[in-house]
Amino acid sequence: MSFEQTWLPFIYLYGVGGIAFGIGMFLIFKTNALRVNYNKHKNWIWILFYGYFFYVSIHALFIFLAMGSK
Amino acid sequence: MENIVGTNLDRIVILAYFALVMGFGAYFGKYSKTTSDYFFGGRRFAWWLITISIVATGIGSHSFVKYSTKAFQYGFSSTMTYMNDWFFMPLFLFGWLPIIYYMKLGSIPEYFEKRFSREARYIATFMILLYMIGYIAIQFLTLATALYKIYGIPLMLTVVLIAIATTIYMHFGGQTSVIFTDLIQGFILIFAGLLIFILGINYLSENTIFESGLSAFWQSLSPLEKLPLAHFNHPPDFNFVGIFWQDGIAGSIGFLFLNQGLIMRFMAAKSVNEGRKAAAFNVLFILPISAIVVSNAGWIGKAIYNSVPGALSENIAPNDVFVAVANLIASPGVFGFIIAALCAALMSTSDTLVNASSSVIINDIYRPLTKNKSSDEQQLKLARLSSIGVKVIAVLLVPFFNSFDSIYEAHGWFHSTFTPPLVVGVFMGIFWKRFTSTAVIATFLLGAFLMILGQFYPVLISPFSHGIELRPGRGYSYIGALYNIFVCAGVGVIFTFFTKPDKNKNLDGLTVFDAHKLKDMFKGSKANETEGEKVEVQWKIDSNKKDVIRFSKNDMDRMSAKKGDLVYMQDSRWWYGGLKSIHSVFGKPHNEDGIVYINDKQLDSGLFVDNFPLLAEKEM
Repeated sequence: MSFEQTWLPFIYLYGVGGIAFGIGMFLIFKTNALRVNYNKHKNWIWILFYGYFFYVSIHALFIFLAMGSK
Repeated sequence: MENIVGTNLDRIVILAYFALVMGFGAYFGKYSKTTSDYFFGGRRFAWWLITISIVATGIGSHSFVKYSTKAFQYGFSSTMTYMNDWFFMPLFLFGWLPIIYYMKLGSIPEYFEKRFSREARYIATFMILLYMIGYIAIQFLTLATALYKIYGIPLMLTVVLIAIATTIYMHFGGQTSVIFTDLIQGFILIFAGLLIFILGINYLSENTIFESGLSAFWQSLSPLEKLPLAHFNHPPDFNFVGIFWQDGIAGSIGFLFLNQGLIMRFMAAKSVNEGRKAAAFNVLFILPISAIVVSNAGWIGKAIYNSVPGALSENIAPNDVFVAVANLIASPGVFGFIIAALCAALMSTSDTLVNASSSVIINDIYRPLTKNKSSDEQQLKLARLSSIGVKVIAVLLVPFFNSFDSIYEAHGWFHSTFTPPLVVGVFMGIFWKRFTSTAVIATFLLGAFLMILGQFYPVLISPFSHGIELRPGRGYSYIGALYNIFVCAGVGVIFTFFTKPDKNKNLDGLTVFDAHKLKDMFKGSKANETEGEKVEVQWKIDSNKKDVIRFSKNDMDRMSAKKGDLVYMQDSRWWYGGLKSIHSVFGKPHNEDGIVYINDKQLDSGLFVDNFPLLAEKEM
């Protein structure tokens, strides 16, 4: 399997998508829409990052599984 | 009639399912007393109820057919479109959702008027209505195509019958009916999708030499078919980069920020935080499950095709995979149930869109034209009639969509044509204060013109193609979305810099930069953010006609509430999910602990019953 079939889509997805995610996080922090010192918001910071890495893990896992299968 | 599939038992199961859902939906009509109830369910539901009902909205009847087709052709990468929505969650959860909820927006076009101008609202109304009604037509067509093969009734007659069936419960119930019918249909969809997988594994276990059905499934798929993402830029009709821009960017923003049906669902949540929970849970857990539910008939079909020669026809058309696989692996009656799930998908998606369309008709056409002088009762009546009108137009559009090569193509054309100008308009409106009214109208009109130009002259799209092959005579497919976004955004930026910002325009609460003060604006005074307890109380009737409810001083202290704060009160039985609940304001306290005084109107709106305690909490 070629790079174009395996890791290039993955890198593009989480690279370009990651830029969109990063800009979003920056904007909501900068505008105080998400307040670090507000109890109800603290969990949301974790959830937002967890979601991003959750999908990174799922896709990476399946690429490894596919590359290792016959 | 050629190739009629299924048995009489299957046909009875499908009819019984339609009858069950119509009865269930019509029952909830009693909860729709005002246009707010009809469109937004009274803003009272718990996050879990919203989440499960979203499952049924997100999975249309076209989803089963479309994703099974791609799953059969390309394997696990059919899940791509369901698993790329997280990137915009920060902006949605903490930017857009609070804006629409706290600014009490009745519709997306209303945002365009408040943020820009009335002209922008009218153009947005036209585009959104066209988009939603066309989407409903595609849903009708997909299901009719499947039922037509089972019942042998002419296609257009099947379409009309489906439209009538969905009208019956929608007509009376509005958003509450939509949410509750979608709740059961969501469960049925997930169950049916997983049932297909179990039946398929069982079929593979019995008909192959592998140790187990799961082993047969895994080993019958090639490594390429197990990859979760498609090839970067090949083939033209299914490649990663094109689908990323069409679905992961334009589609995700469209889904989260512009889908009036989905937005209305979040606005039916009892609070912004409940809406956030529903959205996050949906994208994190429900969408991956949905991806499996809609795709696995294709994966199972491919595994059977690879390992059980002759079980599926050599010449099977990819679009027929879903029905063919379901018919092969399920016994009579069970096949009917699976097709009933397809009906569930259609009914739940179209009812949401019909409700959303009538909301747009009332909020963005009728109310502005009549200057909101008609009574709520008249508007509710018109909302019900307009939901019928929307379906009539959708039925009339079916032949047009039937003329496309496939439902997939019709659906793709829709997304790429109607979403980008609106996506750019709403996105730049929220995140760029300088973005002007002239610029948004130019984005809609000139942007649309440049998009059409791109369809006729694919050479314009070539610089964005990422090496995707140009299909002779058919142009580029998904990657056109990148070009469309680029030209719309470009027009928006250029016109913004060449026009003066309207200094008289009040943008308070309409951009992400005001998100931190939206609660104060919603309440009308400083929000009380002190955390308090939830308190269980018994209700008593008060002769007071004001929209306040009165608790004891001690109970208010436990809730950290003050007179004038906002309160939410619901039946303490959690499984109602907020169906029996009200929002109000804390009134002057009394001294009877554990007692709350409400008036007749609040009792009627909350549908509270004797002897069941209520659970109250301070909102802000």
